[in-house]
This record gives sequence, structure tokens and C-alpha cells, in this order.
Amino acid sequence: MSEVVEHSVSENSNEQPELVRELAARFGPDCVYQETVDAIPNLWVPKNRLVEVMRHLKEEVSRPFPLLFDVSAIDERLREHRAGQPDSDFTAFYHLISLERNADIRIKVALDDDDLNIPTLTGLWPAANWYEREAFDMFGINFEGHPNLRRILTPPGWEGHPLRKEHPARATEMDPYTLSDEFLDAQQEELRFVPEEWGMSRQAKHTDFMFLNLGPNHPSVHGVFRIALQLDGEIIVDAVPDIGYHHRASEKMAERQSWHTYIPYTDRIDYLGGVMNNLPYVMAVEKLAGIEVPPRAQVIRVMLAEFFRISSHLLFYGTYAQDVGQMSPVFYMFIDRERLLSIIEAITGGRMHPSWFRIGGVCQDLPDGWDTMVRDFVDYLPKRLNHYDKMSLRNGIFKRRSIDIGAYNTAEALDWGVTGPGLRATGCDWDLRKKRPYAGYDQFEFDIPVGSKGDCYDRVLVRVEEMRQSLRIIRQCLDNMPSGPYKASHPQTTPPPRERTMLDIETLIQHFLNVSWGPVIPPGECCVNIEATKGWNSYYLISDGGGMSYRTRIRTPSFPHLQMIPLISRGFMIADLIAIIGSIDFVMADVDR
Amino acid sequence: MRWRLIKTEPGALMTEPDEAYAEDLAKSVIVTKLEDLIAWSRANSLWPFNFGLSCCYVEMATALTSRHDMARFGAEVIRASPRQADLIVIAGTVFRKMAPVVQHLYDQLLEPKWVISMGSCANSGGMFDVYSVVQGVDKFLPVDVYVPGCPPRPEALLQGLNLLQDSVAHDRRPLSWLIDGDQVSRVPKPSQRDLRTPERMKATQLAEPTSVGLAPLSADLLRDISAEDRVK
Repeated sequence: MSEVVEHSVSENSNEQPELVRELAARFGPDCVYQETVDAIPNLWVPKNRLVEVMRHLKEEVSRPFPLLFDVSAIDERLREHRAGQPDSDFTAFYHLISLERNADIRIKVALDDDDLNIPTLTGLWPAANWYEREAFDMFGINFEGHPNLRRILTPPGWEGHPLRKEHPARATEMDPYTLSDEFLDAQQEELRFVPEEWGMSRQAKHTDFMFLNLGPNHPSVHGVFRIALQLDGEIIVDAVPDIGYHHRASEKMAERQSWHTYIPYTDRIDYLGGVMNNLPYVMAVEKLAGIEVPPRAQVIRVMLAEFFRISSHLLFYGTYAQDVGQMSPVFYMFIDRERLLSIIEAITGGRMHPSWFRIGGVCQDLPDGWDTMVRDFVDYLPKRLNHYDKMSLRNGIFKRRSIDIGAYNTAEALDWGVTGPGLRATGCDWDLRKKRPYAGYDQFEFDIPVGSKGDCYDRVLVRVEEMRQSLRIIRQCLDNMPSGPYKASHPQTTPPPRERTMLDIETLIQHFLNVSWGPVIPPGECCVNIEATKGWNSYYLISDGGGMSYRTRIRTPSFPHLQMIPLISRGFMIADLIAIIGSIDFVMADVDR
Repeated sequence: MRWRLIKTEPGALMTEPDEAYAEDLAKSVIVTKLEDLIAWSRANSLWPFNFGLSCCYVEMATALTSRHDMARFGAEVIRASPRQADLIVIAGTVFRKMAPVVQHLYDQLLEPKWVISMGSCANSGGMFDVYSVVQGVDKFLPVDVYVPGCPPRPEALLQGLNLLQDSVAHDRRPLSWLIDGDQVSRVPKPSQRDLRTPERMKATQLAEPTSVGLAPLSADLLRDISAEDRVK
């Protein structure tokens, strides 16, 4: 504990952010300040003061923190490099964001293995509900006072908590999967929706409610998503979204892949986002390792990321039009998407999952002739978008099915953790590319489209306009592509530049080790948050000084978005729910990871 | 096709059918066995179930849209209910939480029914050897065609569909259990890799990897395409 005293709040207060000093003064000397590479202040608070601290940050402090960005935990039991942190077996952490301050804070609570209880924050943020269920499911932490603390990602009868270090990671470590008739029946029975478990009654004074199970396989739910509806006739009284059918254990996977070989797994998180997913991950690793990325690599990254934003939004546009009853648009938009993917393929060799970014740069340089392809596309798409305005946006049925459906305001959005186009549709202009420029976005001219009503129609408008802005960015990349290397010359760059390998035995060994074992990243914690296709996507990486991540927390935008569905669909018809689900624009891999 | 005029004098006999009639007949009448006819129509009117699990489903949907147009093979009528479908494409990762649902849906498909396993996850678990993923859908479903890739290109799915159609057209199923019992005789399904390796080994000259254009192809395949057309 001597290290802790050294770092405790009262002793080195001049290095600490003002907010931390303020909190320490108010909540006593037990608060411990921890510095991390990402420059987000970490404050350890005792668990009996957690709710007070959080209430203070949300409601009382000047320029408050209205957004509960992320909640999860860390299994600390095997971690070696913990200098400056209080003793802890499991650490629950809460990541808050203040828009007014444009600042983050991470509150951490140390928990003992024998006493994994912590008060719930569902009374302060409705968004905390699912995050706490996830932490319970993954770590077995009991959130006292939670209204319905049950598993969320694993099946209801699962044994153990997967992100604990003792839980098996591989399917091949466990018994082979079999599906007997008895097991099938038992599993189906476990999935039965029981309204009473969710505090729903079966009757009201004048009506018997009907319960409708939509999903997990239904053409309109965009993947393996299930939602149970409480209906009065065709009117939705309440809804219970049920997720976890797409849990691919990406966070556990990060604990056994090298820093380099984890990159392909990130592609498959938001599987419509392609290399956009690589970006926050490689940026976080680069920050931990202290790698500067050369300008050409930055611009190539931005260009490809924006291509994928367009690709994802095009798919959204077509499928949303289909959801509200238009059969043709999806065929137009898939043609554009094919054109776009042909550029992606020419540059990266892949279509949906190129895994093309590397720690310290990108995989290869751009091929000869890339500029002609890109120029053709940026000249071609605007006309098509104008055509779609006439075909879809101004179509009467399209409008009637979208306008004033599923609306929410900015305060509600923040309360529920909504980010991205869903947040900007409410009139809030928070786009991380502008507010916290990363990867060189400050060098580009583009506008942030915002909506006003926060309904389905505004969410479509924002995305359509974002495609035009992305085209603007791509055109700037095209016109101003810097020359120079596409990879950093830092020794941790993986794989290292080829030219360096054949110089002498040292560089050859270094190349060999970096490729075969992967880079060794210095111990530390780093969170990088970007404006992904569907909202804010962050990777919170904890390195214990090894060739693999100790803990990787992937905060995806779609997870909180789905949690909000009941709020915005009550009182609407089932057909409106389909429009609402479509307008959220999620993929289940981005929810369940 | 040959055309001719017939004189229609009152009372005159129609001429005897000559070889032109025989040619017409050959074009419009097929003499076949009933089981062949049924197999042929089955193969060319597969009704896939609208079912997707993850990333692969996006490529499957792409195969249905205009560029790739699965309708060319008579398999575009995707059905939202398993009770109207006879083909399920397992497009994506089979999760432990989802496996009982997949089995339940499969049980509801109409007989005879077929399964295409699309993508590495459905084939074997692929890169996801983790606690929540079943290591291949064939752990609990009989698979007819495996389509490799992560995700497979739409063209690969179309090829998988063609292979399935081939086998459906050549498998022999009893017309009724009263006639032949319930024995299905299936044609062998050899590994496509084994079949195609010799041909692929011939591709020794590849296009320059540093320029955009068509995908690298062997010189044999490219011989009809001029160099200007290639780098467009």
C-alpha cells in the first residue's frame, strides 16, 4: 500500500486536474488518483461513496457529466503492473463524459473477491441497467438494488462468468457441443418470455394484454435480436429487448491474441464498418507504445474509414427504405455499395473485413491507379444521392412512416448513452471528429449535419447528409494525399517496414520477433474513442507489459441504442417499431461483441 | 428452324409430317422419367429461408441484389417462414445461445430440405474458437454444401448454390415411401479443392499486384483482354 500513499490525492495535488482535486476535497482522502496514457483522470473511490460521487458528477458539479459512457470491470487478480493503484481483485469502472467540459473521467471502485457487491447506478442513469447486467454476467459482480440483475449475453443457464481469468476461453477446452432433444427443449424453455419476470401484468382493467415474441430470427430485426412486446391490440404498451444471441466473446479473445493478430477480430465487431473498427484499436495500441503515425498513413486511414462510413450508411439507407415499405431502393444502394467495395478491394484486397490497418500505419501503400477509381466514385455518388432524395426522402409514404416516429430529445439521448447520428438527430452537434479531432481530422473541411426532432426521419436525414460530408473528406484526401512512408519507423511497428529487415542481424531479429510473437507493449491503460459508423466506439486497452492485452474493453454504440427501444416505442404500432429498429441502424455484432 | 407454307385448297389433304415436324417435336417435347423431372424442378426452384446470423448474411443479401442476382438460378424467393422454404443458408456464426433456435427453425423446414453452411464460422467455428460459439453447424445439422470464406464473396455463395443444385438434380429420391421406401441415393460430393487444384496450379503468371484493375488472373484467362482494358 506504500505506493498508494505516494500517489494519494493530498500529496501530489498540483499535478492533478482541478476536478480531481475538487472531488478529493469533497469526498475525502480515500480517493486515489491514477494517471493513464490516455490523459483521462482516473479516480478510485470507496464503494460506499460511489453513488454520492456519481450523483455529484451528474447533477451537482458545475458543467456536469450527463453521459454514462461505459461501465465494466477488470479482473485484477493476475495483473502484475498495478503501481499506484489500490489493492483490488475486481475493479468496476465507470467512464463519464461531459459535453460542456469536453472531458472524460473514469471512476474506479476496488472490490474484494469475497465481497463482490456494489451499489447500482440505475437510479441515476437508465443506461446503467444493461451495463451492470453485462458486468454481472461477465464477472459475477452483484449490483445491489438493480431492478432485474440477470444474465444478458450468455444463455440463462450458463455456468461461470466468462471474463474471469479462470473461465475457459476456447470452445475446444470445453466439452464438444451436442444438441440432444432434452437439451433443446430445456434451452427453448429457458428462452420463454415470462412477463412477470419483467414486472409486467397480463391484464389491465379493460384489456387482456397480448405478448408477442419478435425474433431472434425475424427479417425485420436486422440480425439475431429478440424483442418481446406487450400489446394492447396493435399498440405497444411495453417492450423487452433481449440480446446475447450474437455474443462472439471478442473481449475474451483479446486476452489470447497478440496485439497484432487481434486486428482481424476488430473488423468483425461492427461488421459493416470494416477498417473503421481497426482505427480505435490501433490508435490505442499506438498510444500505449508511443508510436507516431506518418501523415500519409493517417490520410489513407481517414479515406478508408470514410469509405466505410458511406458503405455502412448506404446499407442502412436501403434497408430502412425497405423496412418502411419501399422495395426498389435497396437494389440501387447495393449497386453503389458494390462500386465502393470494388475500390476497397482494389486497395486492400478484401471486401467487408479487410483488417488493413496496422500498428503504426497501414498494411501496404496505395496501388497505382487508386486515384482514378476514387475520383470516379466521388464524382458518381452525389448524383445518385440526389436521385435517392427524390426516390426515398421525399416519398410520401416514407415520410409518413418516419416523421414523428420514435422521437427523443438530447437529454434523453444522453441519459440512455445514445451517440453518433442518433444523438445528432436531436440537434446536438457532437461529432468526435470535430470536437476531439483524431487521426488528423482537424486538417479536413467538413460539416456536422444535425437534425431537430430526433425522430426516425431526422436520423435518416443526418446519415444521408453524412455521406455527402464523407465524400467531401474523401475528395480532400484524394487531392492532398501526402507522400512519404505508409508505416512508422518506430521499432514496435508491426510488421516493421520491410526495407529495414535486411540491413543487419538486429533488424532481422526484431522483424522476426515482431511478426512471430508480436510486439510487447509497455504496461499501461489507454482508451481511444472514435466516431464510428453507428456512434462512439472506444477500445479501453490494459497492457500488463506482455505480448497480449490483459483486458480489452470494447464499448460499442449499438449496445445502449437497443436498450432505449422500449422508451421510444411505447404507444406506437408494431409497424412503427420496425421503422424505429431500422432507424437505429445497428448490427448485432456491435451489440453483443 | 425451317418454315414452309401449306396450300389450303378446299378438300386437299394435309401433307404428311416431314422432318420439320420432327424438329418441332424435339424442341417442345421432352421424354423423361418422372423422378428426373421432379429432381430437375426441385433443383431449379429452391426456396431459401430468410435467415442470417452475422456478417455472412450481408454477403448473402448482396448475392440477392442486382449485381449478382441469385434469381438467375431460380433461388430468389426468400421466405420469411421456414414452413415455406426448403433451403437454409447458415450465414454466419452459430452461437451456443442461438443453436437451439437454429435447430428449431431447421425442424420446421419442408422436406426435402437442404443446408448450405456459409462462411468459416458455420463451417468450423472459424477464427472464433471461443466459449460462446459452436464449432461448426454440422455439430447438429446435416450440411450439404460448405462455402469457405470469411465472409465468402457473393460469387462463392452462388457457386455453392450451383453445386447444391447439381446434387439435388442428381440425387435420387423415392417418389413415395410406398414405392421405394425411404432410401435416398446421393451422388458423391467430392472436395472442390481436390478437383480444382490442378487447374489452379496452372496459374503461374499473375497480374501486377501494385496496380488496380481486375483481380490477378492467369495469363491464359487474360489472353482475350487487352492490357488497356485491364487497367481502366
